[in-house]
Amino acid sequence: MSNDPWGRPITRRSLIQRGAGLALGASAVGGLAACGVGSQKASTQATEKVVKAQVDGNLVYFNYSEYIDPGVLKAFEKHYNVKVTQAYYDGMAGMMSKLNSGNVYDVIFPSAEYLDRLRKANRLLKIDHSQLRNVNQALEFSPYFANPWYDPGAAHSVPYTMYTTGIGWRSDKIGETLTGSWADLWNEKAKGKIFVLDDYQEALGMGNLRNGFDLNTTDSGQLSKTKQLLIGQKPLLRGYSTDTVTNMTNGSAWIHHIWNGDIVNVRNQVKNPEVFKFETAKEGIPIGSDTFAIPTNAAHPGTALLFIDWMLQPENAAKNIEYIGYPMPNKDGYSAFSGLVKEQPSINVTVEQLQAANKYQFRDLPQADLQLWNDTWTAVKAA
Amino acid sequence: MTASRFWARFLLPGGLWLLLLFAVPLGLTVAVSFGTTNELGLPIYGWHPENYKHVFDPLFVPVLWRSVLYAALTTLFCLLLGYPVAYTIARFGGRWKNVLIVAVVLPFFVNYLVRTYAWVTILSDDGLLNHILGSIGLSSVRFLNTPFAVIGGLTYGYLAFMILPVYAALDRMDPALIEAGKDLYGTPSRTFWHVTWPTTFQGVLGGCVLVFLPAVGDFVSAQLLGGPNTFMVGNLIQQQFYEGQNWPFGSALTIVMMAFLMVWMVFYLRSAARAAREAAA
Repeated sequence: MSNDPWGRPITRRSLIQRGAGLALGASAVGGLAACGVGSQKASTQATEKVVKAQVDGNLVYFNYSEYIDPGVLKAFEKHYNVKVTQAYYDGMAGMMSKLNSGNVYDVIFPSAEYLDRLRKANRLLKIDHSQLRNVNQALEFSPYFANPWYDPGAAHSVPYTMYTTGIGWRSDKIGETLTGSWADLWNEKAKGKIFVLDDYQEALGMGNLRNGFDLNTTDSGQLSKTKQLLIGQKPLLRGYSTDTVTNMTNGSAWIHHIWNGDIVNVRNQVKNPEVFKFETAKEGIPIGSDTFAIPTNAAHPGTALLFIDWMLQPENAAKNIEYIGYPMPNKDGYSAFSGLVKEQPSINVTVEQLQAANKYQFRDLPQADLQLWNDTWTAVKAA
Repeated sequence: MTASRFWARFLLPGGLWLLLLFAVPLGLTVAVSFGTTNELGLPIYGWHPENYKHVFDPLFVPVLWRSVLYAALTTLFCLLLGYPVAYTIARFGGRWKNVLIVAVVLPFFVNYLVRTYAWVTILSDDGLLNHILGSIGLSSVRFLNTPFAVIGGLTYGYLAFMILPVYAALDRMDPALIEAGKDLYGTPSRTFWHVTWPTTFQGVLGGCVLVFLPAVGDFVSAQLLGGPNTFMVGNLIQQQFYEGQNWPFGSALTIVMMAFLMVWMVFYLRSAARAAREAAA
């Protein structure tokens, strides 16, 4: 019989009792602590905080990687004598996870439907347009951006980029033309070299469009058909990934479900850019926009405002467009994108498309439907 | 103050650390596993045991079996690779024993994620391995995004956890036992199976447990080196916490997986206790 550190003999009963006590205690403490990590809806008060555009500390920047020109970022640091700490996410869900965990960022880049969701939950600061000298570059680019569906009056955001989703491929491996349909992601010639975006919205949306359904359908029967379609695709796939640029440049991918700007990024990095092509599908082209936003708990919102203003300056916007390959709605900076379009017309995105193609934009879904989408995607990945 | 009370005080910082960073998060996980989520993905506490029922959905059974299979294969390969290494160092290391063990363990100071990324570079279509194959005239083979890459990555990631316990057991063994086996006309292989192997079996068991348990829940290898059909239970859990925004289901999966692994842990502890009793007897 052994003794515990306090010299009392250990019996099986005392061990079980103490073990149970510890477990209960831990659960109780955990439960109590959990109450602290609440999910109370934030009040609108926090969103109305008055912020002046001035340096109030170093900037904490949270975005996709490779989605901003590092030169423009460095110039911002030098001009205002601040440091920019960069943090990255690889998808909107990842961004939400970090924000929900209480991480503090000064400027974030949600897509339209996620901006809608954050705005409704009162998690974003109101942006005073008078604080941004260059705000009209974006808002006057088109009336669409002065009052977008996801942010009435553009009160909580400034548009960053516009994008479409399509298919990138290598003409030296597959041929000069594909069929211009989502079915190209099932191309037998490229078996084992096809990637689909590891993003529940993009992947399920693509399946929905191929099946002829609404992009944002919440009908469980239709989603089930899409699920079967995507599961049937798996033998042809090499993987699910949003690391599109790496996959295309290192030769793993011959066909990739990809965003239009990424193809420009790929072409900038390879020795034979003319073989990397991009096409959009006739069944439907998912289209969207990304935005600048400032969370309510940002520690340095003043610097964030200065940063947004900096990015809206036409020279900086033009430089940024050339680096990331996506069009920024910027009155005087947009011409930089036209140059890129001349080389590869299929990457073009216009505001008219954004306005007209409302049914091709991802929408913020209610909780129950979001759960359905996520469960469908989990089923596709686990099959 | 008695001696045992004095030394018992040293349990306090470790015990506190364990309570704050292990017991409390565990309690939190249990609490979340019975909840649901709101529209932003934050957990709402309540009583929803159906999360646990969802864990045993037939959809996920292949994922669970696959994880156990990969982990079992990883343990086997770690044993096949690790035991000879430990044996060579323990028996024939001589003066260089400690240096050799440090040399074996040193690469594992590098973070596991970074090491797995290195494997992505080595196994990719234009990577090191395919370059070597190309230079001897063979065509390029697809290593990356296959189950073999995942198991290879897992084996490499956990090899040190097999080598060290086995080495410790071999080092503890009295070499006179092996000489005795040879004296009794044992061939090298018979000596090994009848003398060395049973003596070091507890070390082997410890190594197997240290490899199998974390390998079952691993998600890094499958994510970086795997393809669309190498989804493991670790990836499933990560999916729920990250993209799926379904923390309650992820927590329920975690608790069930921990319970499953506890069974093996208890089995190992009882076996070790029994061996210790027999050794003392």
